[in-house]
Amino acid sequence: MFLWIILALLTAAVAAVLIMPFSRRGMAAPSSHAGEVEVYRDQLKELERDRAQGLIDAQQAEYARAEIGRRLLAAASEDGAASSEAPKQRSHALVAAIVTVIPPIVGLCLYLTLGNPNLPDQPLEARLANPGNNIALLVAKAERHLAQNPNDGAGWDLLAPIYFRTMRLGDAEMAYRNAIRLLGASSERLAGLGETLIATNDGIVTEDARSVFEEAVKLDPKNPRSRFYVGLGFEQAGRTVEARAAFEAIAKESPPEAPWMQLVNQHIAKNGGTVAPNPDTDTGGVPALGNPTQEDMAAAGAMTQSDRQAMIRGMVDSLAARLKEDPNNLEGWVRLVRSYSVLGEKEKAEEALKSGLKQFPSSGELVALANEIGLAVEGSTPNGVTQ
Amino acid sequence: MIVEIGHYALVLALAAALILAILPVIGARRGDAAMMALATTGTLATFWLVALSFAALTWAYVVSDFSVRNVWENSHSLMPLIYKYSGVWGNHEGSMMLWLLILVFFSALVAVFGRNLPDSLKANVLAVQAWITAAFLLFILLTSNPFLRLDPAPAEGQDLNPVLQDFGLAVHPPLLYLGYVGFSVCFSFAVAALIEGRIDAAWARWVRPWTLGAWTFLTAGIAMGSYWAYYELGWGGWWFWDPVENASFMPWLAGTALLHSALVMEKREALKIWTVLLAIMTFSLSLLGTFLVRSGVLTSVHAFATDPTRGIFILCILAIFIGGAFILFAWRAPMLKAGGLFAPISREGALVLNNLILTVATATVLIGTLYPLILETLTGEKISVGAPFFNMTFGLLMLPLLVAVPFGPLLAWKRGDLLGALQRLYLFAALALVAGLVFYYVQNGGPVMAIFGLALGFWGMFGAVADLWYRGNFSKVGLVVGFRRLAGLPRSVFGTAIAHFGLGVTVLGIFSATLFGTETVVEMKPRATVDAGGYSLTFDGMREAVGPNFTEERGHFTVSRGGVAIADVWSSKRLYTARRMPTTEAGIQTFGLSQLYVSLGDPMEGGGIVVRIWWKPFILCIWGGALIMMAGGFVSLSDRRLRVGAPSRKAKTVKATLEAAE
Repeated sequence: MFLWIILALLTAAVAAVLIMPFSRRGMAAPSSHAGEVEVYRDQLKELERDRAQGLIDAQQAEYARAEIGRRLLAAASEDGAASSEAPKQRSHALVAAIVTVIPPIVGLCLYLTLGNPNLPDQPLEARLANPGNNIALLVAKAERHLAQNPNDGAGWDLLAPIYFRTMRLGDAEMAYRNAIRLLGASSERLAGLGETLIATNDGIVTEDARSVFEEAVKLDPKNPRSRFYVGLGFEQAGRTVEARAAFEAIAKESPPEAPWMQLVNQHIAKNGGTVAPNPDTDTGGVPALGNPTQEDMAAAGAMTQSDRQAMIRGMVDSLAARLKEDPNNLEGWVRLVRSYSVLGEKEKAEEALKSGLKQFPSSGELVALANEIGLAVEGSTPNGVTQ
Repeated sequence: MIVEIGHYALVLALAAALILAILPVIGARRGDAAMMALATTGTLATFWLVALSFAALTWAYVVSDFSVRNVWENSHSLMPLIYKYSGVWGNHEGSMMLWLLILVFFSALVAVFGRNLPDSLKANVLAVQAWITAAFLLFILLTSNPFLRLDPAPAEGQDLNPVLQDFGLAVHPPLLYLGYVGFSVCFSFAVAALIEGRIDAAWARWVRPWTLGAWTFLTAGIAMGSYWAYYELGWGGWWFWDPVENASFMPWLAGTALLHSALVMEKREALKIWTVLLAIMTFSLSLLGTFLVRSGVLTSVHAFATDPTRGIFILCILAIFIGGAFILFAWRAPMLKAGGLFAPISREGALVLNNLILTVATATVLIGTLYPLILETLTGEKISVGAPFFNMTFGLLMLPLLVAVPFGPLLAWKRGDLLGALQRLYLFAALALVAGLVFYYVQNGGPVMAIFGLALGFWGMFGAVADLWYRGNFSKVGLVVGFRRLAGLPRSVFGTAIAHFGLGVTVLGIFSATLFGTETVVEMKPRATVDAGGYSLTFDGMREAVGPNFTEERGHFTVSRGGVAIADVWSSKRLYTARRMPTTEAGIQTFGLSQLYVSLGDPMEGGGIVVRIWWKPFILCIWGGALIMMAGGFVSLSDRRLRVGAPSRKAKTVKATLEAAE
């Protein structure tokens, strides 16, 4: 309400300023050539000064005076002709009405289509002071704290897994490394760093990542997660025997009903070992979500229009399915929302947007995308609208 | 709420501009004083509305309100405060806001300082300004609105383009826009004069301060941009004939021509129609520059965003204003009365030569800039028109102009005496040649053309001194009286001399840096040493460092001369964390007017790194000269008096054929 009062006052002020010239009475129009005559008189004075100081001689001055004099006469005579018309008293009712009415009409019409009158200002300081349970804000707050106290290891330790979950991999790596540097290595931190490195490299266990996991195993020999990745690293490097040994060791020390056993058994089988029977197998690799592989792309080139449409649809559906299982993928959500909107499925796009925002509250990318393709963002302004 | 008030103020400004675009013109036509007075008050109201809106946007940047989309896209909460301010115009939407703000600022200046103008002229000028204002307001509101919101707001912004995180951004765009947009006033005066169908010497007197002011700011803006590109982009060059640079250079050339032709018009009432045409052309080139840079036709650091609807919108603005002005010109110009007469050899004649060369030079740059674009659109073929083309055409055109510059101020109005001017200048010409030779000898080792180029620079400088020398008549009356005479001269004389002197300094810097500069590209390992420009550089190794929003690797070099270490140079490669974008920060060491420029390339295997080292003798003269030109502009601007062209004393004996000016 307060906003509307200010806008109304602003409009009124502008209309008042614009109407002002019409409220004055009997303003005589000065002759239109007065300014010119003034300029030429000025020029004559200047000429006189120059002559007095000896900057030009008498003859030059005479010529110049004649030239200026001609201009002066011309201006003055036109002036006389013009001023013979008596200034008419005019009525300005219509003009005054236009001037009063246009600002509010143009102002309101345009502003109501373009503006967001219900959205309050949101300076970052104020939001950080009262972040509520907005993850993004809490992260930003922690970041500011760390920018000033870069040696606060506990802060980095806290932030690192959050970065990893929100797919800010570069930041996650930096945070893990800082935490390890400041607080010392622990198997938790090393494993987190290793997983970050793997995610950065699209699922490949690099030399770097494997040595990190090996170090983690040294600190905590029982940790199945680190040991699994060490084994996976051997497997990807083609060192089947070492890989199988690693996986079998995990299997031996884990209770048979442990949730990771299924995956471990798959890898034992893959590396040529024998496993306690457990037939329902699933995919084991970690390809980038929703990305077509090389073969898919090659196949798409040779397809008909409808086949291609079907393949795209298939890819979008598989992306949606994977995101349902593993929703911690901002890039995936952005791609899904965009894909649905390109396919013209507005409801699905909205649904995907909602799920994405649940996972990544106030992600700028998602909101910007929503605004771009014209989707409504629900549950706006967590602190409530104040106007 | 502040943001929304800013948005509303912008909308309200559009309403006011629409009223101002129509009513004052009707008022001027009907001789209605109240409707003409509306132009003044309305212009001021529009200015305050736009200023309020701009302030609101700036506030959103300073407090990092990421619910404003524009802020989220181009700012970061950890950015240093100065970049939060300058970041307002470091993006497409914001820079259009700055353009608009400066436009209404100039309109407001005309409204306040235009008291001596005839009412109808003033009303028409302000109305034309309001047309431009309305067009740009519509453009901003409909295609580039900086007040669009995001809901819910993100927690952190996407950071400003790292190349723009520099003091240069705080200075270059405002200066450049003050120049670009300042010419809009000249345009409005020209269109208003065409609407009224009457133009005379007084008109030129009124337009002059605006031309001078705009030209001065544009000079500073271009020089600043050139220096910024020189030290930030790490290419070691200071001018690339890049289309974006040309876009700002063309209005400058046309504006320089306008400045000189307006002089003739004010003094002698000649060249009236030509001056009006130049005023229209200059602002048209400013608009064209805006179009080229903003539409995304050109990709460069200036093209913040590319969006076809914006391009089409700007193209429409361009077509309406330029096309409309030229149609008006074609219709009205024949009705204007021709003015004074003059002989070919006279001050007027010299200024016509100046105009001729500058206009052709502008056309050359225009062709060099647009031809590749047109060719690509028509045939899809990509060509690049670079330095060789411009050096051959533009460079050759400039030579006679630079030779002629010192003659202009020494020739008398109406009928001049070239022989007399030559006689008076030969001493200075000889001096310039000697200075060029000495300079060449000291620097030793450039092509033969070098002497000529250097002499040309000194010629410009000495010619400016000669102008003052003869005006003071020092050789006859002695020092004391001479200085007394100088003190009595109007400031515009000094402005001319200072600006021409600055031109000479710039020319000297260009020739010196181009002819005597050296470039060395080497792979350096720590403790390696390279010689450049008489100094030796030792690479001491790389070091890591952390800035507020970037990390960098800094290479340290020790500069020594004759075995004695005299300076340290740091050159670095930065990585801006938010955008993951690398930049190079050149290390620059200044010795007097010369500079040693060190830029880091890629690291090589085995611990070495590619280093590019330039020795740039007297390069600071290039920008120093521009600063002197700017100072000349300000000195001239401070002169409120008027001088009148007086015919020569030999008028009776010389039977020169007088020619009509137009």
